[in-house]
Amino acid sequence: MGKCIENPRTSCALGGALGVASGIERVIPIFHAGPGCGLQASIGQKTGYVGGIGCPSTNMFEKEVVFGGTQRLRETIEGSLEVMDGDLYVVLTGCTAGIIGDDVDSIVNEFKTKGVPIVSIDSSGFKGDTYYGYEATLEALVNDLATEHPKEEKTVNLFGIVPHQDAFWQGNFEEIIRILNKLGLKVNTFFTEHQGIETIKKSSGAALNIILSPWLLKNLSKIYKDRFGVDTFRYSGLPIGPTATSNFIRELSQKLNLDRDFVEKVIEEEEDYVYSHFEKNIGVVSNYRFIIVGDANTVIGITKFLVNDYSQVPLLAVITDDIPKVYHEKIENEVKNLEYGRKPKVIFEIDKWKIGELVREYEDEATLLMGSSFEKEIGDELDIFTTLVSSPITGSFIINKGYAGYRGCLTFLEDLYNNN
Amino acid sequence: MSSIIAKNREDRPYALTDGGGTSKELSSNFKKRCLKNADRTFAQATQCQETNSISALLSMQDAAFVVHAPNGCVGCVSFMNDNFKVGQFHRGVKNIRNARYIVTNVDEKDVVLGGEKKVREAILELEKRYKPNIIFVFTSCASGIIGDDVDAVASTVQKEVNAIVVPIHCEGFKSKVPATGFDTVFRAIQNYIIKGERMQKEKGLINVFATTSIGYKDQLELEGLVSVLGLHVNYIPFYSNVEKLKRIPAAEYSVAVCQVFADQFMEYLKNEYDIPYSKTGMPIGIRSTDEWFLSVARLVGKEDVALKHIEKEHRRVLPEIAKIRERIGGKRVFICAGTGRGVAAATLIEDFGMKLVGIQTPTYEEALIENFDQLQKIHGGEFIIDIANMQPFEQSNLVNKLKPELFIGMSTWVAKLGIPSTHILESKRPTFGYNGLLYLARKIENAVENPSFNIKLAKHKKLPYKESWYSENAFKYFKEVGN
Repeated sequence: MGKCIENPRTSCALGGALGVASGIERVIPIFHAGPGCGLQASIGQKTGYVGGIGCPSTNMFEKEVVFGGTQRLRETIEGSLEVMDGDLYVVLTGCTAGIIGDDVDSIVNEFKTKGVPIVSIDSSGFKGDTYYGYEATLEALVNDLATEHPKEEKTVNLFGIVPHQDAFWQGNFEEIIRILNKLGLKVNTFFTEHQGIETIKKSSGAALNIILSPWLLKNLSKIYKDRFGVDTFRYSGLPIGPTATSNFIRELSQKLNLDRDFVEKVIEEEEDYVYSHFEKNIGVVSNYRFIIVGDANTVIGITKFLVNDYSQVPLLAVITDDIPKVYHEKIENEVKNLEYGRKPKVIFEIDKWKIGELVREYEDEATLLMGSSFEKEIGDELDIFTTLVSSPITGSFIINKGYAGYRGCLTFLEDLYNNN
Repeated sequence: MSSIIAKNREDRPYALTDGGGTSKELSSNFKKRCLKNADRTFAQATQCQETNSISALLSMQDAAFVVHAPNGCVGCVSFMNDNFKVGQFHRGVKNIRNARYIVTNVDEKDVVLGGEKKVREAILELEKRYKPNIIFVFTSCASGIIGDDVDAVASTVQKEVNAIVVPIHCEGFKSKVPATGFDTVFRAIQNYIIKGERMQKEKGLINVFATTSIGYKDQLELEGLVSVLGLHVNYIPFYSNVEKLKRIPAAEYSVAVCQVFADQFMEYLKNEYDIPYSKTGMPIGIRSTDEWFLSVARLVGKEDVALKHIEKEHRRVLPEIAKIRERIGGKRVFICAGTGRGVAAATLIEDFGMKLVGIQTPTYEEALIENFDQLQKIHGGEFIIDIANMQPFEQSNLVNKLKPELFIGMSTWVAKLGIPSTHILESKRPTFGYNGLLYLARKIENAVENPSFNIKLAKHKKLPYKESWYSENAFKYFKEVGN
């Protein structure tokens, strides 16, 4: 943690916290932070109800830096309650508040004791990156809001698709939810289908947590287990394409004791849907030797799809998340757990220039480079066909398309061919 | 070194950053010097000066950048990087590249122990990777509060690298006016690049100082206009380089794209290098374009040439404008934009016979008072001025009350009120000059002619404000704090 990075791909803890808070409907984020934080943290975040510069903010200037900002925070919360229409107010602290040591909790508690639905998150930018903010905010919200609730056997909580940081998060959620619904499951994500804080409160009654990530949300998983007895089914990477998605469904079904015949029928139907489209488009996409650069979920998901289902050959996989070392081996094994052909070299690297130098080593052999908009530069320089699969994606307009699941792999192939 | 820490915009004599009322009231109180600066007890998030400092320099061809901050403080840079790429595309660059910026990723340990070592490391890395001619080091709230001495790092490491190392002090908490970030940049250019050096004048050279938001088409439009006067342009600071910055004192004249950009710097150039300059509004719309062009012509002593050109251009565009005026004239308009563009937009709508009912501007200051007087002459004194850095809650309140027939600015919020909207900030098409006028006229007409999206959106989605807020005074949260 904390190394210099050329062209970082994540925001700070505040950015991650804002992504979660503004992603939940009718939650009003309140910044206790510097004047530019709301704008900076929200770049790349598409806001629905409220977000970014629409959020109340204490905009801490020199006066607050010197004399403290708690009075300013109190006023701002009071104003927020008068002006902003929400179900929950979430105070997000920035670097300034964190460094000068404002006692945010005591201010927030003043309002809590009056019955105001309000929570504070310690999200000072220097605490970590987007993932840190994502984890810290989900933990705080679940800890604060969730209460004992009757078990719902057919309800699952779905986590690990990080709002905004996964460039296709909306579409990925939609496809995974579609598949889970087809299996007869109700899905809590907190971020979709107008789920709000009521869903968070009741999430304690879910039959299972599904965490689509090889490394995120260890603490959240523990909170659900310790407080509410909810187990976690962790699936490493985004399931993309028929092989991975069917595998994901089978593993999940075992955990939930779903009827095997019914599950196999769903799988058959879905695979048929995909292969009927594959059938109509044989020979369109070329055979590549590929390099992929991106977050762990995307790299695992796309590599598996391209190798296990689509006859492509992997050379190099660069994982750009700042992941604690203890998870590296597990993730590397997951990327290399492939049915056919060779295994790619797996490297953990965040710095754009260093990634460029890694790609350069394969200049002679690589025919496809998948990465963020940053990788377009090295792809163009080395004349390697380059497409965008990971954040930040600034060169393509994304509303709700996704690469996850059965249908997502078709969208991915379209984008690959169209060079989006 | 402290001399490079630029004075804040709000410290200029009589500059206001928060306040509101009718233009008539504000202007008369302002002139009597009894308009008090206000503070908001409730506010929404704003922009900080760091964004402007970085964006002013990011497109320099031979520069690299260190941002001494946590990752979040380069959020806007990813957006600017995209603009930079679009700019390269427009300028015909084949292999489009990213801007070279390293963020020091300030973490908890740095907050306690200091992060100066990382600044040094980042500078050395950039030198090794790209051999830039210049490396700018930007500060942040975090680096400022923990007291990292970026100046000392810069001057020490300067002995080890070929690039000129320039610290830019743009801590967000230091200024309420984001435009201060531009001033800081020009002060740095003055102190680290120009350094009072003398050079031979280049006949016909004019410095054109432009803000980030100016697209390539607008650059061409400006260059085209001044070429009528026999001038050629040193376009600063976008897509420039150290060599071009060094050439600034060689110019015969200076002009900026608006009345509040680079104004102190042009004053410095006048005093130090005897370079006369013109300070006018942004050349958007007939009136402002005429004025911008004439002001440059007066510097050169070619007013007659300018007038002839203006006459020709009017003949070309006015008939089309007259047709559009017939269709959209009389509509009531609310504007929200940066200082220069907002005022220019308010004169632009005069061309279409539209009427200003409200405007949000980031500052209200001496440099603008003449412009606001002019707006009063055009639109009467009853239009509302909201002096605000963003603040969509005030905008939504005002727009909901005033019910304008068109909103010019970012439509994120007013769209949900069902108000037709468009914006005049474009990085891909011309908005300046006589060509820009035609484009904007048609664009504005489009918004008025077909407001379907906003009307139907408003039926489905609402803004995050309580109903009671809309009947409150929009300026309820102002607390006078004096000047």
